[in-house]
Amino acid sequence: MRFHRAASGSWELRGLHPLFASLLAELPKVASRHRKAQARLYPDPTGSEGEAQLRNDWKEHVRPGLERLFSSSRETVARDLSALVPNGPGASLVIPAAHLDAWLNALSQARLIIVEENGFTESDLDHRERPDLATRRGLSLLKVHFYAHLQELLVEAAG
Amino acid sequence: MSEAGVITGIETRAEDALATPWNVVVHNDPVNLMSYVTMVFQRVLGFPRDRATRHMLEVHHKGRSLVWSGERERAEAVVEQLHGYLLLATIEQADY
Repeated sequence: MRFHRAASGSWELRGLHPLFASLLAELPKVASRHRKAQARLYPDPTGSEGEAQLRNDWKEHVRPGLERLFSSSRETVARDLSALVPNGPGASLVIPAAHLDAWLNALSQARLIIVEENGFTESDLDHRERPDLATRRGLSLLKVHFYAHLQELLVEAAG
Repeated sequence: MSEAGVITGIETRAEDALATPWNVVVHNDPVNLMSYVTMVFQRVLGFPRDRATRHMLEVHHKGRSLVWSGERERAEAVVEQLHGYLLLATIEQADY
């Protein structure tokens, strides 16, 4: 997989292996599975027991904005991915520079959700053991690592 | 919040405006990448890269880092923005 900046200013992923192209194509769907990760995606703004009013205000005034932001990021990524051919040899993808933040956000959502769904620990995530790709859990761990790799590339691109 | 990069904040009770300062604390999580957290600190808090990296490493090694301190309304707005980047952040009243 190669990642480079095109003359247009967009970023391009080229030579995507079909497996990774399919993992990429799943990103918006994975990132929308908020049900099991609510507490992590929308954490309390305070650890203090005596701040019930802040929590209520937060739920009423802040959370809807976060939901819109996260949803908008997923939609942007889904639109970009509509040009990706998941099973074609050497698939490529164009990410407009203006969409980098949406990608970073959607990748974070997806990684947090997969980790919550599978109960991965810091030890699971530190690459010491290879994911067992014969299991659903192993494939999920591979997905977390692949999305992390892509996120690293995009953080660098974002400068 | 309408977009990352814009601090809006929620309404703050009047009596809080004159109260003791509030801290914004970022907590460790095993998922967010170190490079990503550093980038967010630069963007949201305006830290230069070396300071952002220092705070990121403090989060990583000590579990938390105090990244901002000041009036409550602004602290809430900073936390809101950090949550927009999926970081674990809370406000705490400064301990005097």
